[in-house]
Amino acid sequence: MALQLKRRLHILREKYRGKKMAPAFNALHTFLYTPNDTTHGRGTHVKAVDDLKRTMNTVIMALVPCLLFGMFNTGYQHYSAINGFPENFSVFEHFLTWDNFWLGAVTVLPLVIISYGVGLAIEFLFAVIKGHEVEEGYLVTGMLVPLIIPVDTPLWMLVIAVAFGVVIGKEVFGGTGMNILNPALTIRAFLFFAYPTWMSGDKVWVHGAVERSNEIAAGANVDAISGETVLGYLAAGNTEGIAAKYDLADMFFGFIPGSIGETSTFLILLGGLFLIFTKIASWRIMVSAVIGSLVMGLIFNGAVAWEWIPEYSKFYGLMSFEFWQHLLVGGLAFGIVYMATDPVTGSQTNRGKWIYGFLIGFISVMIRVFNPGYPEGVFLAILLMNVFAPTIDHYVVRGNVRRRMKRAQNATIHPKLTEESEALKVETV
Amino acid sequence: MEHVELFFKSIFIDNMVFAVFLGMCSYLAVSKKVSTAVGLGAAVIFVLGVTVPLNWLLDQYLLRDGALAWLGPEYADYNLGFLSFILFIATIATMVQLVEIVVEKFSPALYNSLGIFLPLIAVNCAILGGSLFMQAREIPSLGLALNYGISSGIGWFLAILAIAAIREKIRYSNVPAPLRGLGITFIITGLMGIGFQSFGGMLTGDNEPPEVNQPATVETIEEKEINKEIEDEEDAISYNEVINEEK
Repeated sequence: MALQLKRRLHILREKYRGKKMAPAFNALHTFLYTPNDTTHGRGTHVKAVDDLKRTMNTVIMALVPCLLFGMFNTGYQHYSAINGFPENFSVFEHFLTWDNFWLGAVTVLPLVIISYGVGLAIEFLFAVIKGHEVEEGYLVTGMLVPLIIPVDTPLWMLVIAVAFGVVIGKEVFGGTGMNILNPALTIRAFLFFAYPTWMSGDKVWVHGAVERSNEIAAGANVDAISGETVLGYLAAGNTEGIAAKYDLADMFFGFIPGSIGETSTFLILLGGLFLIFTKIASWRIMVSAVIGSLVMGLIFNGAVAWEWIPEYSKFYGLMSFEFWQHLLVGGLAFGIVYMATDPVTGSQTNRGKWIYGFLIGFISVMIRVFNPGYPEGVFLAILLMNVFAPTIDHYVVRGNVRRRMKRAQNATIHPKLTEESEALKVETV
Repeated sequence: MEHVELFFKSIFIDNMVFAVFLGMCSYLAVSKKVSTAVGLGAAVIFVLGVTVPLNWLLDQYLLRDGALAWLGPEYADYNLGFLSFILFIATIATMVQLVEIVVEKFSPALYNSLGIFLPLIAVNCAILGGSLFMQAREIPSLGLALNYGISSGIGWFLAILAIAAIREKIRYSNVPAPLRGLGITFIITGLMGIGFQSFGGMLTGDNEPPEVNQPATVETIEEKEINKEIEDEEDAISYNEVINEEK
């Protein structure tokens, strides 16, 4: 069966070789199977098994747990909001149930399909028009997009946003590997600024909440359901009671409302370790971003502890939030592991990666606290640092050049014998 | 605190390029290389830092309504605000010329590296914009005006630095032919604006003590109207009651 499919794809590819539609069939041909073609005599001598397609697939593998968890969580949050949160919560009885999964799959999978469908259609179109091979850059973007949006985002909005993100965010720069801003985040930012009511507030994070409130507005006799994210709850000025609502384990394992894939810090951590282990993502960026967010969180905690900030201030709630818990809530962990480490839009130099990551963590927490409009400001912080990544790289490279020039000027071709080495010489003689 | 807030605000939140889109001409034209962008940016910081406080003085003692009162009570009624544009641009042109002469005399190397950009700054709308915003926002003191000038300049500097680095990076990108050059630069500027949106709305909120502690609240016009309506309604109700009682 599989072999037959392979042969058919191969025949199709041969049939269209050299024609206008060739890139589309070539892409299908190599999607599941390694092609038999090998590098011939001349040309490149770099040989590696992990081409772009494999790299992208590895990231997708790291994302699948988040996606599955997001499906379960969608159902769990929905049913809990209607029936009340279960007492004596146990993962197998209340979380990993077919009901939860079914509801989650029905709501989440359309987002995934739309995201891939629209994005890949545009990619194929551009490849055919411009006459180059289809580049696999969209494979990861298409998976990231559904994971970083609220579960009830209408599909038509997603279509428009994906089209915008792929065309303006990526294709106008020349396609995969040339873009300045992370396309997934561009899509998220487009949605956020074009349809703000669908992207923030307390109605969008739980499946069905918007529908319910519309029904109520129309006069139906049902209870409203709502679910704020932890950050939204704190940003609204509630200083106490977060412990009563969610405990640390909830926040760490992700049984909280939020965008589909971002809630479970535990699975994100696993995915991050997997990416570091396979050397796909840069551990420098991840570590420095964590450090950056911790530093900023500590500064805010310090401001509260030393009473620099009065209790009536609207920043008080988020400022007094424990500094390390910032990593457990909202999209910070997800952003650090899967978005900030984007090899195209991030810093390319090692020292630049430290600066870039640190500033992402630092600015994310700063936006969270200081900007009441965007408690989920991680994506904006990453976009901002995407803008400045080339500047950082430029100065790191210039610094390296200058240092080496200096070293070259100071170095003598025949190094003089120092006293120590002369002493050594005497001893050996 | 006031100074820190204004400084942060004019660099990031009210960024000259991404929030109000001023100074675009030189921003687009001179951002092909980082080194020249740095030169122009530094010159903009300097000129803004000089002209905004100067224009603040002009505005305070010559232009605004009643500014001439220091000449004598009979001049207190004059409002020379309509001269702002001419005087501000004159100050800017003079200052730029002056700076050019001084730099040429004392530091020929810097003068050569800045080249045409120094005189170009005289027609950079970010500079005139800085002075006009200073006037419109009624910045209260000379120190704050200086702060405002320098920090808006730094905001502009950061913007041109970032786009110059990006343009150096995408020099070898396969940008579609019709978009090469200015087209892609406009798109990048828009996308950078999205990045800078992260600061939009920051520091705008009220950080004052709750209403109870406030001695007097200033009523806005809308509130006044609403209050007046409520009073009218109350009057009407009490009037009706009186009539009913009488009946």
